[in-house]
Amino acid sequence: MHVEFLGVPRQRAGISQLEVHADTLGQLLGTLATQIPPLREFIAVDRLHSSFIANLNGDRFVSDPSTPLVKEDRVLILSADAGG
Amino acid sequence: MPFGYHGRYLRIDVSTGASEYVPLSDTVLRQYLGGSGLGVKLLLDEGAAIMDPLAPEAPLVFAFSPLVGSPLTTSAKFAVVSKSPLTGRINDSLASSGFAIAGKRCGCDAIVIAGRAAELSVLVIDDTSVRIEPAAEYRGATCQDTESGLKARLGANYRVASIGPAGENLVRYATISHDGRHAGRGGSGAVLGAKNIKAIALRGTRRAEWANPGELTTISKSLSKRSFGPATAKYRELGTATNLLTFNRFGALPTRNFQSGTFDEAASLSHEQLSTTRSKTRESCVSCTIGCEHIYSLGSGGVRVEYESLFALGSLCGVSDPEAVLRASKRCDELGLDTISTGGTIAFAMECVERGWIDEPWLTFGSGDALLRAIDSIGSRRGIGDLLAEGSRRVAHAIGHNSIAFAPQVKGLEIPGYEPRALQTMALGFAVGARGADHNRSGAYEVDFSDKVDRRNLTLDAVRHAIDTEDKAALMDSMIICKFLRGVFNDFHDETAEMLRSITGWDVTADELRETAKRIVSAKRQFNLLAGWTPAEDTLPDRFLNTPLPNDPEASLSRELLNSLVAEYHRQRGW
Repeated sequence: MHVEFLGVPRQRAGISQLEVHADTLGQLLGTLATQIPPLREFIAVDRLHSSFIANLNGDRFVSDPSTPLVKEDRVLILSADAGG
Repeated sequence: MPFGYHGRYLRIDVSTGASEYVPLSDTVLRQYLGGSGLGVKLLLDEGAAIMDPLAPEAPLVFAFSPLVGSPLTTSAKFAVVSKSPLTGRINDSLASSGFAIAGKRCGCDAIVIAGRAAELSVLVIDDTSVRIEPAAEYRGATCQDTESGLKARLGANYRVASIGPAGENLVRYATISHDGRHAGRGGSGAVLGAKNIKAIALRGTRRAEWANPGELTTISKSLSKRSFGPATAKYRELGTATNLLTFNRFGALPTRNFQSGTFDEAASLSHEQLSTTRSKTRESCVSCTIGCEHIYSLGSGGVRVEYESLFALGSLCGVSDPEAVLRASKRCDELGLDTISTGGTIAFAMECVERGWIDEPWLTFGSGDALLRAIDSIGSRRGIGDLLAEGSRRVAHAIGHNSIAFAPQVKGLEIPGYEPRALQTMALGFAVGARGADHNRSGAYEVDFSDKVDRRNLTLDAVRHAIDTEDKAALMDSMIICKFLRGVFNDFHDETAEMLRSITGWDVTADELRETAKRIVSAKRQFNLLAGWTPAEDTLPDRFLNTPLPNDPEASLSRELLNSLVAEYHRQRGW
């Protein structure tokens, strides 16, 4: 699936997007932590730190590591705090 | 008198120069804490709800808090509380830095100002001595020039809060500025301007004692350490400007007076783009370890860039030229104008020009020159600026054509940068907000950016979450601590109760603080009821209830749904 980074995750990752294969959100986060070490600060095994959140296809925000993913999904990783 | 307080407020009548200290009981302090809560309580006692906010007798409260002066990070904050000349409802706006510490060192927990000076004046509080000095030479001066001029005149150890030309000219959304920051929303600058007070300069020597200094030091160190972690990374590393592209991605970036939730040229205003073309520095308020202020170079100086200013003066007005938007933001800072209400009112006027209802053909979406010209005209109340200085609701009533349907305001306060149709818990927060559409008194957007709700298809279950964020904000604004810290707490109520115990010596618990928050929210409602609030005010403009977002048909909010959310909110509040 396609992964987009926004805000701090984008800055830490040094890229805005990439393609990753994973069957669940937890698997995806584990892969990201391995592939992009600067993101490890925000990922505990298979979960995001509470200050960050994942979103599926611009619709649903998800946090459960067992959330199933399919190839066509777009997963957005961003700060959970939208305060301005 | 509990620890952490002086147990009194200073009341000054600037008509006569008379001042007195008025005792504050333990009970009142424990029930309302400080900041917004204490300010509202004092206004209720003063009978301010039924006064004209620009009349001499209308009081303006500067309220400090038990945490001010402590080593707790982000605690150097003060609240400015009055009846709003923009909304006719309660207004509490907060600002930060040395003014809060110096004010509390004047030996009081709040300063209440009433009356009207005979000429433009500066109110000087030197410890416990109060005097009023002429300030004619600062007429028309910017907030920054006034502050630096008064420090040169009185002494560098004075801390100054001032109004710009907008406050002098009674622009209904004028700010009170201190150290580059603003008590921004709702027009407290006009209230001070109506009193002929250009600035308040103060210094003091009196410290409040802490009940348990050792415990307070331990708590403060822990909090500071956590404030360097992931929970504040967004504010520390990028600033709030990073919201722009995120909100644009979710179709929640208000554009061209809320006609769209996406701005095609958003990238040109993003922090990534600004960072590639401008140098940037970071600053902090006094006593803050986060350092959320990102100052971008502009000409020979710099300008603080915040999301709310970028959205209001950028996408909302269709302006994508970063130079124009940054200059506009800086001009608002100089004139003492709330950037959200300024941008909202100008964007509304731009749409009215498009529809042929305002005959100012130069005032067009996308024009940076028009934006800057409009801002200057508002600050001086010249030409069309005299009308725009009244805010979008009064402009709509003046021009008719049912333009109120798309005036971007609730209770008269212009809507901040959260598209209500795309963020529907926030829509509820805006509708029921005591001071109008506001993202600082309701953090309901947090709920929209979570897995607790479907942000575009809300159910009544969202209401309790919206109430939680409103209660939490009331507590943070009264204790006072910065909302940018909220992510660092493991248990917010337990930890803030622990802070308050170490400072005051009270046996306060988390449950007591939950009740305190509800009491403060209810006090604001009581103020509004006395001021004439009716249930019909708890709504959104028709535009948001009739029209889905054009780029996102799922982002649709019906009047029936909003009405049922508001009714459920009132039910759960017990109102």
